[in-house]
Amino acid sequence: MKILIVIILICGLSLMPTQKMIRNYNIDGQKRALTKKPEYYAMEWQDGIALYNKPTSYFIEVETMGNQNVDMLVTDLQRPVLYTADICTPVCADGECRLMYLTLYWNLLGSYVGYDKVEGQSLTKHDHVEFVDQDYEKLHQLLLDDNSILKRRKIDELVSKPKESDIDGADAIAGATITEVKESVVDGALYSCYVAWNIAHGPIKEELQEYTAALFDNELKRYMLMSNEQDYQMYALNSLSESEFLEYKDRIAQIFGESIPLVRTYIVQNLPKLFWQTEDLQIPFWESFAEVDINTRSLLLNHIHEAPVNVLVSLGRNLELMTKNQLKLYLEAIEKNVSTSPEINAQLLRFAESGNHTYGYIVTEFLEDLE
Amino acid sequence: MKYLVLILCFFSINYMISQDMLLEAESFDDKGGWVVDPQFIEQMGSSYLLAHGMGEPVKNAKTEVNFKKDGEYKVWVRTKNWVPGEWKAPGRFQIKVNGLVLENTLGLRSGWGWEYAGAVQITNKKNTLELVDLTGFNGRCDAIYFTTSDVEPPSSMKKLATWRKTVVMEPVAPKVTKKYDLVVVGGGIAGCAAAIAAAEEGLQVALIHDRPVLGGNASSEIRVHTLGIYGNFERILKKLDTEHYPNGSPEAHKDQIKRDNSVKSYENISLFLNWRAYDAKAVENKINYVDARQTATGERIRFEAPLFVDSTGDGWIGFWAGAEFSYGRESVDKYGEEWKEHGELWSPKQPDNAVMGSSVLWRSYEAEQVAQFPEVPWAMPVARDYAKVKGEWQWEFSRNDLHQIDDAEEIRDHMLRAIYGSFANAKKQPENANRKLEWVSYLVGKRESRRLVGDYIFTLNDAKTGRTFTDGVVEETREVDVHYQTVLEDEKNPDFISEALFYKTPKYYIPYRSLYSKNINNLFMAGRNFSTSHVGLGGPRVMRTTGQMGAAVGFAASLCKKYDVSPRDIYTGYLNEYMDLIEKQKYTPIPDSKK
Repeated sequence: MKILIVIILICGLSLMPTQKMIRNYNIDGQKRALTKKPEYYAMEWQDGIALYNKPTSYFIEVETMGNQNVDMLVTDLQRPVLYTADICTPVCADGECRLMYLTLYWNLLGSYVGYDKVEGQSLTKHDHVEFVDQDYEKLHQLLLDDNSILKRRKIDELVSKPKESDIDGADAIAGATITEVKESVVDGALYSCYVAWNIAHGPIKEELQEYTAALFDNELKRYMLMSNEQDYQMYALNSLSESEFLEYKDRIAQIFGESIPLVRTYIVQNLPKLFWQTEDLQIPFWESFAEVDINTRSLLLNHIHEAPVNVLVSLGRNLELMTKNQLKLYLEAIEKNVSTSPEINAQLLRFAESGNHTYGYIVTEFLEDLE
Repeated sequence: MKYLVLILCFFSINYMISQDMLLEAESFDDKGGWVVDPQFIEQMGSSYLLAHGMGEPVKNAKTEVNFKKDGEYKVWVRTKNWVPGEWKAPGRFQIKVNGLVLENTLGLRSGWGWEYAGAVQITNKKNTLELVDLTGFNGRCDAIYFTTSDVEPPSSMKKLATWRKTVVMEPVAPKVTKKYDLVVVGGGIAGCAAAIAAAEEGLQVALIHDRPVLGGNASSEIRVHTLGIYGNFERILKKLDTEHYPNGSPEAHKDQIKRDNSVKSYENISLFLNWRAYDAKAVENKINYVDARQTATGERIRFEAPLFVDSTGDGWIGFWAGAEFSYGRESVDKYGEEWKEHGELWSPKQPDNAVMGSSVLWRSYEAEQVAQFPEVPWAMPVARDYAKVKGEWQWEFSRNDLHQIDDAEEIRDHMLRAIYGSFANAKKQPENANRKLEWVSYLVGKRESRRLVGDYIFTLNDAKTGRTFTDGVVEETREVDVHYQTVLEDEKNPDFISEALFYKTPKYYIPYRSLYSKNINNLFMAGRNFSTSHVGLGGPRVMRTTGQMGAAVGFAASLCKKYDVSPRDIYTGYLNEYMDLIEKQKYTPIPDSKK
């Protein structure tokens, strides 16, 4: 399908100067501030906080509408929190264009995190029907998906009719893409979704990340490390020196227990050697063994030969959590300790004799081989 | 049917002479609804029979057994409960001898080993033996052992291998040896293309494949459509590839017929379907032979040739011969394969053993009447509340404690639990009352396993920059697409669903030097086990691209034969002629009559 971008837009000329005027100050001359959580927002919001617009040199280029500036949102102490831009963009389909207004928010790593509607400017579908609440929410979910199918397809690829199969009709639509598109975009508003997604995930993403990198100091590092946002945690962890790993050891152990598998695996893979050479430093990580995911447990068990005996004993209480290969790793590591540690021995017997454990037979065979 | 009757004094403690017979289940005369599963021989010791009935008990497998001596025999069955736990074992079955069911239900023990079925009184020479499936949920039987002794056969893998050899009294080397110009192991798209290219240049080729049909992941048994471009080899690849049907579609059958007929049309390709290689012997870095076994009868052949192609996908030939190989993800700095946006998901700071996962595709259909599906409590710990009626490529499983080769059976079984559990959940929804499972593959469709190391290791940077090579024999435009398990980002996600990250590239090339082994002098490789980094594999792992690799090595083999040289010599001494030969493939040959 061919899209026509209409160059002359009714409101274009009048809107842009107005927007520039209100960029950092409200109409009544007050400094512009965000004082409540954006309506659609994926991060934690601190009640009572006010974030103030601070200009950056970045902008988003919108076809026919010119450049739309991106501001940083900072606290009253000038700590950066978010980026934001007021967007007015044409959405055109079948030769008809309308304007879409949104205030977008990105986090400090340039990831889309939310949006606000612009007062008096509803979003509409192709048939001019206004978005309902679910549509706004769906748009938000779509924008949160940085790996959306919209990323890999041109607009005309998203709407082209698939060839139907000769064999079993509708179920066999060529490729899965069309179903996937339908599931992810607001029904009847593919073009709006497409335009919004490409603005939110356009070149600005990388530019904002670079901007933050230039500002990245110890304070920001600490802020990100203390945050519950996983990508902040990852970004901060990635920047830590060995001495900082030590400085933040308690927080890192806490993140290890609470974060997503991806962050945990990063931690266990990148802890400095000193942690595995020092009993006190490694124990907090072993203590999370029962709470963390299977992949993380495997990575922890790669260090089992560096673990003190009391860790081997406490792992013995968690044999039922181990997969077959994890159990084999554990048994191999404790082979020498079985005879000297009555507690380990007792745990093995308990596990092998219970009759309820999938891999009980592995422990049984292990004990038999020892005899 | 092959069986052996032995009068042996096995157990010196007893000093008893016992009458014993080992019967391999896969050699049953009539397999009924059971299927031969040869995927995990290297791990559990043998092909086995699998009752893959998608929840409906399959027809009995039947065979005739001749006993030399009457008497009471104890019957042991090598099997396993594939999901042990606090539920009834999903794959239960029984043994019937001369119409009488033996006392014990089987498929109950954890881990592969022997279960006692019961005792049977043999009074006739000829006897019938049947496997009776009770569930349709993947019961498995490897072998049946009749003995007059009281001693249980060994279960541990180490002892079992020796025991089996003693019982079967198999000589070390196969009795039959066959010689070819080129032996291609693995009949996926890459292997088929290699065989065709070499055959077209006049070589005598053996193509060894462990399934009844060709195509590997593209076959009607796994049903992944082929992606990628034809490069220089459109004519050959069109004989082998598929339409772009949805993965899992029965349309795969049409392309199957085309593919099998294409390969069979070459007189100088000796096709060994249902033969699986089990060893390769190299002396001074040169493979002398590959040994293979018929997956049902156990018959063996030694294949000798001056040149071999490893298109097994898992790099088995290279592995057995001692070829250098890699597995897992390199560190991001090793080849500079960073993609900032996706960080650790794309390429990790520290190397690890994560790889892209394996898929098991499946689908269901709307039956005319309400269809029941049994409760599957043993599947629910995997499926949880996920409810679906079909599975596409995203149904993929990889976990860092599981090796895609060594733990392939567990990976397949995990996917079966995911499928049956998700379908059972979907069946609870009123709109799915008539839904019935139509097809569930029992073959693991692997994306990544061992990667054999060549003179050149292809990486993301070659794709990203569109780097050209004087020996660039494979070309591709498809994005580099690396998968990860979505559970890494959110533990609430099912652990059997993946996501793809697509890195857009210009047209890129793979050099011939990535298609032969660095240290085994007469070994080519084609397919996902070619010489590449983990990220580098993301693009060219699809099957038109791997098909190009196959065709490229097939033509190289013809020049190796012509000049009696090794694969590396083609690059160092005969590159112009080789590249001319590749270039020529772009054009339709002029028929002799019109020359």
